[in-house]
This record gives sequence, structure tokens and C-alpha cells, in this order.
Amino acid sequence: MITIKINGLDLQVEEGTTLLEAARFLGFPIPTLCHVDGLSPYGACRLCVVEIGEEPNTKLVSSCTYLAEDGLKVRTASSRVLRARKMIVELLLASCPQSKVIQDLASKFDVRQQRFKQEHEDCILCGLCVRMCEEQMMAKAIGFRDRGEGRSIGTPFDIRSEECRLCGGCIYICPACQLRCTYNEPEKAICGGCANLSPPCVLKDQFDDMMCYMDPCVACEIIDGKK
Amino acid sequence: MATGKTQAPKKTKSKAFRTHLLICAGTGCVSNHAFDVRDALEKEIKKCNLDHEIQVITTGCHGFCERGPIVHVQPDDIFYQSLSVDDIPHIVEEHFLKRRPVQRLMYKPPEAESVIPKMSDIDFYKHQRLIVLKNRGLIDPENIDEYIAYDGYTALAKALTRMKPEEVVDEVKKSGLRGRGGAGFPTGVKWELCRNQKEDVKYIVCNADEGDPGAFMDRSILESDPHSVLEGMAIGGYAIGANEGFIYVRHEYPLALKLINRAITQARAYGLLGNNIFEKGFKFNVHVIQGGGAFVCGEESALLRSIMGRRPEPVQRPPFPVKKGLWGKPTNINNVETWANVAPIISNGSQWFANIGTPTSKGTKIFSLVGKIKNTGLVEVPMGTTLGQIIYDIGGGSTTKSKIKAVQTGGPSGGCIPAKDFGIPIDYESLSEAGSIMGSGGMIVMDQNTCMVDVARYFMNFLKDESCGKCFTCRKGTQRMYEILDDICRGEGTLEELELLEELAHVVLDSTMCGLGQTASNPVLSTLRHFREEYIEHIVNKRCPAGICKELVGAPCQSNCPLGTEAWRYVAHIARGEYEDAYIAIREANPFPSICARVCNHPCEENCKARIIEGEPIAIRALKRFVCDHVDPGIYKPERMLSVDENGARIAVVGSGPAGLTTAHFLSLRGYRVTVFESEDRPGGMMLSAIPSYRLPRETLEKEIASLIDDNITLRCNASLGVDFTIQSLFKEGYSAVFLALGAHKSRRLGIPNEDVEGVYPSIQFLRSFNLEAKQSAAGHVGVIGGGNSALDAARVALRQRQVKSVTIFYRRSREEMPAFEEEIEAAIQEGIKLEILVSPIEILSEDGRITGVRFIRNELGEVDSSGRRRPVPVKGTEFTVPLDTLVVAISEGSDIDCVAVASAMRIETTAWDTIKADFDTLCTNQPGVFAGGDVIRGPNTVVEAIADGKKAAVMIDRYLRKEELKKPAEVVLPEIYVEPPARDEEEILQPKRVALPRAPVEWRKRGFAEVEMSLTEEEAKCEAGRCYRCDLEFTRRKKEVESVIQEKVETR
Repeated sequence: MITIKINGLDLQVEEGTTLLEAARFLGFPIPTLCHVDGLSPYGACRLCVVEIGEEPNTKLVSSCTYLAEDGLKVRTASSRVLRARKMIVELLLASCPQSKVIQDLASKFDVRQQRFKQEHEDCILCGLCVRMCEEQMMAKAIGFRDRGEGRSIGTPFDIRSEECRLCGGCIYICPACQLRCTYNEPEKAICGGCANLSPPCVLKDQFDDMMCYMDPCVACEIIDGKK
Repeated sequence: MATGKTQAPKKTKSKAFRTHLLICAGTGCVSNHAFDVRDALEKEIKKCNLDHEIQVITTGCHGFCERGPIVHVQPDDIFYQSLSVDDIPHIVEEHFLKRRPVQRLMYKPPEAESVIPKMSDIDFYKHQRLIVLKNRGLIDPENIDEYIAYDGYTALAKALTRMKPEEVVDEVKKSGLRGRGGAGFPTGVKWELCRNQKEDVKYIVCNADEGDPGAFMDRSILESDPHSVLEGMAIGGYAIGANEGFIYVRHEYPLALKLINRAITQARAYGLLGNNIFEKGFKFNVHVIQGGGAFVCGEESALLRSIMGRRPEPVQRPPFPVKKGLWGKPTNINNVETWANVAPIISNGSQWFANIGTPTSKGTKIFSLVGKIKNTGLVEVPMGTTLGQIIYDIGGGSTTKSKIKAVQTGGPSGGCIPAKDFGIPIDYESLSEAGSIMGSGGMIVMDQNTCMVDVARYFMNFLKDESCGKCFTCRKGTQRMYEILDDICRGEGTLEELELLEELAHVVLDSTMCGLGQTASNPVLSTLRHFREEYIEHIVNKRCPAGICKELVGAPCQSNCPLGTEAWRYVAHIARGEYEDAYIAIREANPFPSICARVCNHPCEENCKARIIEGEPIAIRALKRFVCDHVDPGIYKPERMLSVDENGARIAVVGSGPAGLTTAHFLSLRGYRVTVFESEDRPGGMMLSAIPSYRLPRETLEKEIASLIDDNITLRCNASLGVDFTIQSLFKEGYSAVFLALGAHKSRRLGIPNEDVEGVYPSIQFLRSFNLEAKQSAAGHVGVIGGGNSALDAARVALRQRQVKSVTIFYRRSREEMPAFEEEIEAAIQEGIKLEILVSPIEILSEDGRITGVRFIRNELGEVDSSGRRRPVPVKGTEFTVPLDTLVVAISEGSDIDCVAVASAMRIETTAWDTIKADFDTLCTNQPGVFAGGDVIRGPNTVVEAIADGKKAAVMIDRYLRKEELKKPAEVVLPEIYVEPPARDEEEILQPKRVALPRAPVEWRKRGFAEVEMSLTEEEAKCEAGRCYRCDLEFTRRKKEVESVIQEKVETR
């Protein structure tokens, strides 16, 4: 067991515990978008940054990937942390304004306007779907492509992977594209954010063993309604 | 002892040659056809039957890439450069047969008179200290025997046979070696950490993924001395306990890949790599991994993932690779240069290494010196060398006359350091204090023609593409920072956006995972820290001072002209033979075309695209002169506007120099009645009193002034401010506004003993007494102190006076730093004026109250001062006396202190530099209705700036009288009028060089004051105008096309 100090409180944790787990154990809220228990930590969204170390040599690290070290001092809501989180939320809002999750975050962090050029993207590249597909569905049907500005999620050459069982796990886990999944126009009903997917519900007949996590699945409802 | 199946390389016949020709086959030289030169050399040597005496050896990079292809002749140490195949027969015949080295092909520093034959005497090489690159240009990198002949692999032998692994680690620790990849982590400490891991399998990695734009250190090491890296890695493997090593080289380095692979094969064949090295039971093998060219692979955790065949994305550290690296095993990763440092440390001992450098940073560092610098190439210097020494001593300073502004170190993650900080010694700490990083050693030198916002945009563009994209803040942050920078460069930025940019930059720096993201803000933050005024200039004034940002600049000639003259337009008209249109284009912007055609400092030529591309700008001023000489000024009828009230308000202009007369002219056009007060008996101001008639004939001056004086303008000469009238009295007389354009009529003093003796004149006074009163005050041997235009004028006027025997100019800095126009300096030297540079006067010697001579002291160039130039430092014991009969002091002009004092007495606020205090944007002084412009507010300046102030004053006074807001938001001025380029055949398109400016013959012009510069012929003018790149077309053609489409639509309707 090792001892760390979070926001002034001493805590004994097992080696290998992440700072996020430790802070949540104590009940300190830390927002995340790319972290889900049961999937490996990734550290993409940076919302979970916390400040570690002693003044003046403190630094920000993502709490979901940083492992507790003996004697480490952690602050989960210092002004530096909040400044960074607020900017991250502003950046998110500028890119994916239609996401309910991001709207809620913005309201929580008191981001009332964003100052960048407005974009309308569907994906924040948190990578949850990729990890879901690989780690929980054992499929590895989708992955990241390209780098930098061009980075996206999909399959090589946009050809649908044979590994895909149309489970819909990727859609289920996605934090950003909910609005599109619950859209009220049938053509736009399915997010397809991970490019690999034709709507699972549409092809349901062809797959006996198809698993769908969506409950209730608005897409199914729309399609059923159309019939 | 060979263990592999590969055969040992064939031993070259051990034959002694008289001479060795070491030809550089680095990437730079090879691109310049070094291999062709080599083949030609071998052929020619054979032809001359010298192949038994002379051997041609292909070596790695010599470092002086600027001058490739390079041949270094040993043992004579002769250095041939910039060779082509055609030079070879001549070299072989002259040098190797007749033993007469060929001067023509040796290195000649720019602007030097004679060549430097020997490599060791060349500044570029002289100031370097080689440890890592000690074998560069000496050995054939493809042949292991040559490396061994220069004591190669002895360090490995020493480590394996005489040292325990712990001792090796200890030795490296004691040496103080720090990682050369950029972060500077102590190498020995890293090794120890890795060694102490209790795992059987450990790995060693060499990071050769060098992706910074403008950096080629690692590549050159691998290409010139690959075994030094292998030896270092083998020693490292022994020390740490690793048996496998990986070299990660990017696939863009084919030569480096080829050479390192060959080196590994050879080393294996000799048993220097393999399963039982030196029969000590130590096993070490090296594998080469070819990278795909992603910049992020330079980050260690991404690189390791790439080696493992996974997506190169950095992962959270800790755990650091020394604990959990490749396949979860302890992995020690170091940069190429770090590995290459290991063998010398083991051979020579840690103490030897620790003695080099600064307390915190030991040894040497390699930099790839590139950018706007004379000697580009690869340099290795001890830590603690100053940036100034690298840039000026080794790099030779700026390629052009524009001053060096900043240096960018550390690649995209680094920052810019301004010229005023060039005195800082290079080590890890001082560079990061200055807002940059050591990085892997890229060094990009930038001059005044580099826009810092554009630089930041360039690097941000690179980073937004090269970020791996995993961290949201890095991916989006770099993209958003680029967007804002792009906005600013296009003139669409706002101050709020600038604030947002800074805020975002800090968050990106704070909240990303790996080194790439954490330093991605550096290009923005460091340029903002040192060059914020350039950002503000872009945003508020919509100007790009360097003339780079296209959407703000339009045509650089127009944007750089203080008057906004559409130089491109009249040049285009000249090319079409439409001289009257050309004259109108000139005259619309400038009321003194003929005067400016002779004496303007032509800022239009400064940023001319032809200058940037070909090195020679279009001779815009000469073209203007041609037009003014060929067109009757009468064809231009200025447009007259009505004034505020029908009677026309009365305005007083004090001073009839360029600023005063311009204001009077433009106010008159607006219908005001203007009275111009002049203290001399003729109008003209500084144009008359300071500019000699051989540059500006009096007839031209008088004609142009006369053409401006119309019915609305009254000229009152012999009326001095403070004597004949005061500002208050002018208002009492009914003038509604006053414009003060008094000029700068006094020279500064030297501040040395005996300055008041007879025969010593301030330059302004000297020129004025000659120009206005025709007094010939100079006699005998004349000295002029100063390096500006006023010094050159004084010297050339003195030379033309009857009793003068000789004229010498004394200047305290170097010739390149003389602020005078280059063509003036050239003309002066032609006329026989001597130039004595790097000297300062210390005392004026006199007898009976008359000067007999001046005592000088010689200077050497010291550290860089705040102006970005190297400070002249007097050298003790170099004092010398020059007998002189006349001394003209032309160090700097100040405003006429009496005038300023008078103004001050009238409650006009003044500055500490004896100028009137005025807002440069509105020209308002502290008193309402009183405006000031020209030299009296700016200090000594150019004619064109004074005219610009005059124009602005007319606008401001008009606004003031109409009770409008004086300040208006800046607007971008882009070319508008479309002038069709003339059709030309192909021969004409192959343009010759810039036209030589015609000048009167030297002997003839020395005798009198007739004009020196002559007009171009029509043919020359048309040809020169045809060289223009027509930067305007990009803007005007588009507009023209849109218009014609609209026109068509209208017609079809």
C-alpha cells in the first residue's frame, strides 16, 4: 500500500491505482469523456487533468493514466486545473456543439460562449469505441487512422471489417454523438461515427447472433415505425 | 573474430599516396552533383597518369554544405569549394601537375578581397571544436578500416577488457554528458537506472528519427561516421547489460540507412558486434528499424511503440522506458549524438570531457546552422559558446544587408531568441530561460525579412499535421492556434483573438501528455514574448513589417513605401511604354517625384520579390527617374476639393522642407489657404541645406518646389519661429491650425577633448555652409567621422572642394554595418575616398587653436548589443594618430535644439532626444490645433518619411477642422488597378540581371558638382521594368476577372 495526499486528505491505495480511481474513491468529482471503467485508460480527452507535485514544480497530468506514487500530492480542482478544463470544454463546444454531454459540461463549467470558429463535428476522437471494440467485443474491427488534423476512426480504406458483428457497442459507448443517434429524421438517425457501421438495426434480420446494447434504441424505433 | 557468414571487407592495398583528395559525399553535396565531380576527378587523374600518386576518397559530410561540392586536399589542407565537373581538368592540371593551387576555386568569404586557401584558416572551421564529428571528412564512412585507423573501437576494447560495467556507467556519469535529443537528461543517471533494473532482458535504442525542419545533425553523423554510433551503443549495452540494440532511422534518410546497415555488416564481420565481442563473452547485436516519417516518433514512448509495430502514440510516463520499455523490458533510449559521444568519453576519460563546456552542460553540441546566413552547414562547438559567436564568427552573419533579427532553435518545439539576446552562452538552462530549448540542435537564422507571425504559423501548421492526435488539447489546440495565426496573417485577427491565442497556448502546454504537445505552444509563446509588437502591427495597423504576409502586403513595393506609391503600377506602365500613365501613378502619391527619384532611400526595393528570389531588386528608383526625365510634369492636373468653408480657413506651416511643402500642397488642394514660413531666404529645408547638388541638382529642386506653390499658398522667407512670430501670434493672426515641420539641423557632438578647435565642423553645418553660402571650409587632409549618409555626403562634398588633398571616412563598426546606402559608399570609394573601419576617435590634437590631427583607437567586434549588431570594443594599445587639417563630425543629427527650445517655450511638449513630442499616428502635439511632423518629431530621417508625414498632416488638419475623429481604423491597401502585362517573346522573358545604374565617369565628376547619377535609356528602362514579378496581378487580375464576368452578364441582359 502507498500513501498519497489528495486535496489535503491522506489516502492509502494499492500500487497500480490511478489518481482518478483514488480521487473518485474519496468522492472528488473529476469529469471525463474518454474514460469508462472496464476499458483500459487512454488519456485522450484531457478533461481529467489534476495538478501534482509540490509548488513551484507542479504539473498537470491526466488522472486516468497516472499511477499513484508514494507521497504524491494531488490537487483535483486547483485554479490551474480549472483553467485548463474550462479551455478544454470551450474547445469541445466549438467542435461538437450538438452533443448533449458536451452542452452539460459547458453549463457545469460556466462556459457560456466559445470564441473559436464554430465547427460541427460528430467525433471527439476519445477512442472509447475503439477500445470497446477491441477489449470488450474482442473484434478490433475499427481503429484510428492518420494523425494530427486528419485523425479519424474507421477501417483501412473504409472497407467494412469482417470482424464487425454489428453489436452497436461503439454507438452505445460514444459520449459525443448521442444527439445524432436520437435524431428525429430517419436518414440521420444512425450516427455511423465509427464509419464501419451500417445501422445495426437495419441489418438485424441478417444476423442471428447480433447483440445490441441500445436500450431503448431510437433507431430501431424509427425503423420499426417506418414499417 | 568473425562469427557471421559475411566476409570481412577486402583490405585496400596498403599503398602510400602523395596526395589524398577527400571529397564530401554528404547529402547536400551529392545533391549538388558531388558524385559527378568525383568521377570526373578520377577520370582526369587517370588521364594525367597521376593515379599512383593521388587517391580520391569519398567521405561523409564536411559540414560546410553551403559550398558543396567540396574537395579537401591533404596533406596541403587546401579547401576547394562549389566545384563543378567543368572545373576538374583545370584543377588537376594546375594543382596536381604543376603544383599551382587554383585560387579561383578556393573559399573567398563574401566581401573579402582575397581567398583563404587552407581549411583550418576558414572562419567556419576555425571556431569549431570537434569531438563527435572528429572523423568527418577524414574517413570513408563505408570502410570500417578507416574508422579503426583513427582509433576506432579502442574505447569499446578498453571498456570490455579493462573496465567493469559499473565503472563504465560511473565514467559516463562523471563526464556530465546529457541527452543530446533535447531534454538534456543526464545520460549516466539514465544508464544507472536502467542497469539497476532486475530483469534479464534489456534493450538499447538509438533515436535517429530526426524530423525537425532544418535539422540534419543526426543524419550527418550517421552518414559521416556510422561506427562511432555503433561503438557507443556497444559500450552502452555492456554497461547496462543489454544484448540487443535498435537504431530507429526515418526512411527519408536513404543514405544514412545504407551506411549504417553497411557499418553493422562490417562490424559483425570483424567481430566488433556479435555473440562474443573481443572474446569476452559479451553479446551485442544491432538492428535497424526504418521509421515511416512521423514527427511524433521522435518522442521516446511513441518511438518504442513504433518499433513494436504498434501505432506511434505516446503513452503516459511514468513508467519510464528505463523501467518498462520495449515489450515491457527496461530500455535505454538515447539520441544519435549522445551515443556518438560515448566512445570519446571512455577513451579520453570523464575528466577530459567534463573540462569542456559550462558548469551544467558539458562537452560539445552540434548545430545545423541554416537560414539567412552566409555559411550554412553543420557546426560543432563547445557548450557555453554564445549564439553570437555561432551566428557571426562561424556563420558569417547575414546574407544580405538586412539585419539578423532572431534565431529559432530546437525545431518546431523550440522558440525564437531575439538578436539582443545573442550574448547568452549556449547550454540547456540558458536557452530555456530565453524561452527556447536546445532541442536536437536545429538553428534557423532569421533576418528583417522574416515575419515572426508567419514563422509561428509555419511551425503551427507543421505541428497540427504532425501531432499524433491522441490528446484532444494537442490535436485541437494546435489546429485552433493555427487558425488564429492564419487570421492574424491575413489581417483578420483581433486583439481578443490574440488574448485567446495566448490563453490557449498556455493550456496546451499544460495539459497534454507528451513532449510534442507540451512544447507545441513554444513557437507562439516565444514569438509573443519577444515580438509582440509584430503581432500588434498585423492586427491593429494591418501591416506586416517584414513584407511576408501576402494578404496584408499586397505588392511589397507599395506596402513598404511610406507614401503608398503604387510602384508596381508605374513599373508596369513603363514596360508597356506608357510613360505618361506611369508619371501620373507616381505623382498621385508623391508631390516630389523628381527629387525622390534621386535621393529616396527606396524602401520599395527592400522587400521586392526580385530581391528575395534573385538577390537583386528591380531598380525602381532608377525607373522613376527615367519617367520623371521623360515626361512633362504639366500633364498631371491634381484634383481640387472644396474646403470646410467657402472662404477657406487659413493654416500656418512652419518650415518649407519636404514635410512642410507637402502639407501646404495637399491643404491647398483641399481649398485651404496656407502660409509657409521659412527661416532661410529660400524654400527647401533639409533638401537644400543637407543634400549636395551632385545628388540633387538645384535646378530640379527649385522647379519641383515652384510647381507646388499655387495661389492658395503664400511663402514667407526669412521668418523664424520665436524671432519673427510665435505659435500664439499665429493663432492671433487668425490661423486655424499650425503645422511644425522644422527639420533636424544640428549634429551631435563626439564628446572628446578639443572638439571646439578651428577646423572641426559638425556635418550639417559643414554641408549647409557650402550648400547655402558656397563656403569651402575643408582643406588639406580631411577626415569624416561617421558611417551614415550624412558622413558620405560630407566626404564627397569635401572631395570636390578646391584645397582638399585627401578624404578619409572613419567608422567605428564594420563596413557591412554602415547605415549609408550601398551605392553611395561604392561611389565614394570609386571617387577615391578612403574608408577606415573599426576605429573610434579618442582625442583631437591641436596647435594654436587649430586641428593638426586626431588620435584614434582600433576596435574589435564584441558581443551583440541591443540593436542586434556587434558592439565595437576598443583594443588597448592600438592607438594611432592621423594628421588631419579638417575634421567633419557626422555621427548623428539631432533636431535644432534652439528651435525645440523655442517650441518648448511656447508650451509645446518635447522629448529627451530634443524632438517635439507628437503622436505618430495623428501628428498632434500637446496643444490643440498644433501639429508637428518630419525630422522634428522623428529625429533625422529620410525625405520620403518627411513627405509621408506631410501628407498625413494635411489629412489630420483637415479632419481636425471638420471636427472629425482623427484616428480611424487601419485598412489593408491592396493593388487595385489592372495593368495588362505586355506580350513578350521567350527571349525577353529570360531576363538579364538588374540594370547597372549609369553614373558619370569618376574623373569628370570629381572635378565639380554636376549630377553623378544619370538617367536610364528607354531600352534599359523597358527591359528593367520587364523584370518585375508583378506581385499586383494576384490581386488585380482576380478583380478584373470578376468585373469582366459582371460586365458580360450585364451585356447579355
